[in-house]
Amino acid sequence: MSVRTTFCLAMGLSTLAMAAPASASDLVLYDALDFAGPVAKAFQAKTGLTVDIVEPGSTGETLGKIAAEGSNPQFDIVWLDGSAVLERMAADHVLQAVPAAAYDKVSFTDLGKSLIPQSHAFLPTGTSTTAIEVNTKKVAADKMPKSWADLQSFAGKVAAKDPNLSGPAYQWLAGFFQTNGLDAGKALLARTLTNKSLSGLSSGGKVNKAVLTGDASVGINQDSAIFSKIAAGEPVVAVYPSEGSVSLPQGLGISAKTQHMDAAEKFIAFVTSAEGQAAMQNGDDTDFFYIPIIKGIDAKPGRETNITYTHLDDAVASAHETEWKQWYKTNFVQ
Amino acid sequence: MTILQHSGAAAFARGAGIGKRSQSRLSALARHGGPFAVYAVFALLIGLPLALVLVQAVMPGLFAARDASNDLSLEPLARVFNAPYVAGSVLHSLELGMLVACTTTALGGAFAVLVQRCDIPGRAAISMVPWLVFLTPSYLKALAWVLLMSSGGYLAQFGLLPLSLGSAFFGLGGLVFVHTLSLFPLAAFIIGSALAGLGSELEDAARLSGAAPFRIWLRINGPLLAPAIALSFIATFAEVLSDFGLASTIARMSNFGVLTYGIYAAASDYPVDFPAAGAQALVLLSLVLLVVVADRLLRRRADPRLISGRARPARLYRLGKWRWLAMAAALTLTFLALALPIAAIAARALTQTLGNGLVWSNFTAANVVAALSLNTAANDGLLRSLFYAGLTALIASSLALLLSTQLDRAGAALRSAVVGLSLGSVAIPGIVLGFGYILVWNRLPGFRDWPFPHYGDGSLLVMGYVAAALPYCLVVILSAIGQLAPGLTDAARLHGVGPTRRLLAITLPLILLSVVTAFLLTFIRTVFELPISQMLIPQSGPPAPTLILKLFSHDRDGLASAIALVAMAAAGIGAALVWYPLQRFMRPRRSVARVDAGSPQFVKAEILS
Repeated sequence: MSVRTTFCLAMGLSTLAMAAPASASDLVLYDALDFAGPVAKAFQAKTGLTVDIVEPGSTGETLGKIAAEGSNPQFDIVWLDGSAVLERMAADHVLQAVPAAAYDKVSFTDLGKSLIPQSHAFLPTGTSTTAIEVNTKKVAADKMPKSWADLQSFAGKVAAKDPNLSGPAYQWLAGFFQTNGLDAGKALLARTLTNKSLSGLSSGGKVNKAVLTGDASVGINQDSAIFSKIAAGEPVVAVYPSEGSVSLPQGLGISAKTQHMDAAEKFIAFVTSAEGQAAMQNGDDTDFFYIPIIKGIDAKPGRETNITYTHLDDAVASAHETEWKQWYKTNFVQ
Repeated sequence: MTILQHSGAAAFARGAGIGKRSQSRLSALARHGGPFAVYAVFALLIGLPLALVLVQAVMPGLFAARDASNDLSLEPLARVFNAPYVAGSVLHSLELGMLVACTTTALGGAFAVLVQRCDIPGRAAISMVPWLVFLTPSYLKALAWVLLMSSGGYLAQFGLLPLSLGSAFFGLGGLVFVHTLSLFPLAAFIIGSALAGLGSELEDAARLSGAAPFRIWLRINGPLLAPAIALSFIATFAEVLSDFGLASTIARMSNFGVLTYGIYAAASDYPVDFPAAGAQALVLLSLVLLVVVADRLLRRRADPRLISGRARPARLYRLGKWRWLAMAAALTLTFLALALPIAAIAARALTQTLGNGLVWSNFTAANVVAALSLNTAANDGLLRSLFYAGLTALIASSLALLLSTQLDRAGAALRSAVVGLSLGSVAIPGIVLGFGYILVWNRLPGFRDWPFPHYGDGSLLVMGYVAAALPYCLVVILSAIGQLAPGLTDAARLHGVGPTRRLLAITLPLILLSVVTAFLLTFIRTVFELPISQMLIPQSGPPAPTLILKLFSHDRDGLASAIALVAMAAAGIGAALVWYPLQRFMRPRRSVARVDAGSPQFVKAEILS
């Protein structure tokens, strides 16, 4: 065999290898939640339907991929933190309304019912909220903050997520303005977030890291992330601010272009069943510590659920989204 | 790049060609189709995806989710240029790029000379260091240094870190430090391969004429290496501008905003601020192209073509007792660039929590066991990445070899265009290229319905990897081909040898080490390539980098560190299995003693070179 034949054969083989057929699964799921893998596995075991899970990274990166796909979405189901962004996708006709029958089959708690969007853009599967993460090695027990306003005394040592990169962080910011007043809230943040290298972090993991390494004494973080660290033995506690907390629902949305509506509905039914909820708690990472919103389902041990909620005015929050995000970026990120 | 310029009678003769039977249609195709093929490959792999991202800087509505339109507008550019943080990040990127290009070229060049031309003890082992440093991706090194230097990090836990040094590290100083340590292999490879090609004839002649070593380096080797030094400077600069690993970790934590992070921030939301991402990418690319063009305008000389059939291996300098000092310097570099970051990652992989530090009760083997057990998500991702990387390396290095031979024959204008494009595309952040790929293969009518490659399959991921790797392969292989004396292939052609056989029987063996270098570089980089893996993640399952990053962002850095460790070991062993046997066969043994023309080694060297 001549050198040339070998060469051509090698190239041909590599081309063939690349041409390995596209996966032909029953569902394609885009998500940025820790429990999606275990849930899909349990779903597959029960129904025999196969699920391809696509997880590009953080919520922001998943959103970027969905935005790039635009009017030609490649997923059947999307499962994310943050109600506002799912509403926007539905408004852009990337998502279709979840059938009303899907909600009727679920016995939601009162908290759960309050999270169902009028547009039916998504079906809520659980929730979490924002709390103050405190490093107990850095902050004495008698110095613990009790409200957002108390964070001023930790100025320069407060870690926070950039709302431009994190949906939950924007919902926290909008809720913070709602409870503290816009001008007073802006002034309070300006006095608190005086260290730009800590106030523009891109994920809850980075807030955790800043608090755990001691770069920050306290952090503004999703509470499920704090409980997962407590369960792992890290020296932190979660403090709920006296002003009240805004709920951050996780939602399932259905692609406007899906060819697998049957499988999608089966998946939703499974997630809201007792088995599905058990799979959603079958792990030790952040998202497994969600707050259940279905009757008869308890949260993971150690997870606080007795929380005072305030209801976020979604209309105000979405009307000011661009302006407030830009304000945050200019003052606390760059 | 002067190293890629050449002209003269030989080139003219080659260009003219001789139309005989053996030079059938293939060569005609090569003559006329060559430049076309080069342009087509670049347009499809890099040009089109990039253009779709950049054009949104002036057509902001092109891919809007609602009411898409192709109206021209200068609004995004005006918005970006009026934002004070953009001017700040341009200055930061430039400042960092320039500083690191200087420090890296100096360090890498010194290292190459030390290892290739001096008799330091343990030379063979030390020459492996750049490869190993290159093996660790920048985001892992950045993470390792954060674990080490932050105020509650490992060095502080051991009381080894003065507070002032810790805070100074998170700023320009720390960024230059980590970039230099992480990029010096690039400079060492580029300058080292030019050094290897110099041979010793010119140096021997100078020494026989009574020139001292310092004068030889200043007047002979220095000028001959100048193109490689310039190339190293520019490649490093481009690499720093396009870096995302440090930009998203140390730079972010130091509030040192750079352009790549601005692009990432604009591209990570729904809806994506495409116009802002496009406008910032445009600024980034213009900066790199300016440097490439400036370099071309400054230096217009013919390049040296030095590898002939008669090159002798250069002799080693005897450093005497200074060699121990030289070895200590090399070992310090090894410690800082390799041992310390890997130790930090290993420590994190083997402990349960970061906060509780390195105490006995905090150690666990669970993370590493999970990464090594078959049929776990971690292990599947690892195997997938190794397969994709091997395939990418094979395709990219073969393609680069074919393109290089076309380019070597083509005119100077095409060559400079391609080198400019290659260096420009080294500076394209992977995230921009990844976005472009989605736009082309999922949005453009015509492309999105093609079965192969198809968005969502492994095929498009491999294509994206090839696009990201091709510029590197081209730079490595072009500079090797550029050093071949034209007489070798001319002689074969005059004997009626066809172009394919000339490529496989003459050119390839002479530059085989460079081709394998390109292959291994691509292999290792692709195993850890992050942004493209994220954007083009196949539906059939994630490659290792996406998995590592996901675990980091979901705060499971113990398991992520474990996967990273295993991936480095696997890629390293794979690369060593290819490199060592080949090097044994290819490279003539070099001794400190005078080379004896009658020795078997010399005969072997003559045959092989």
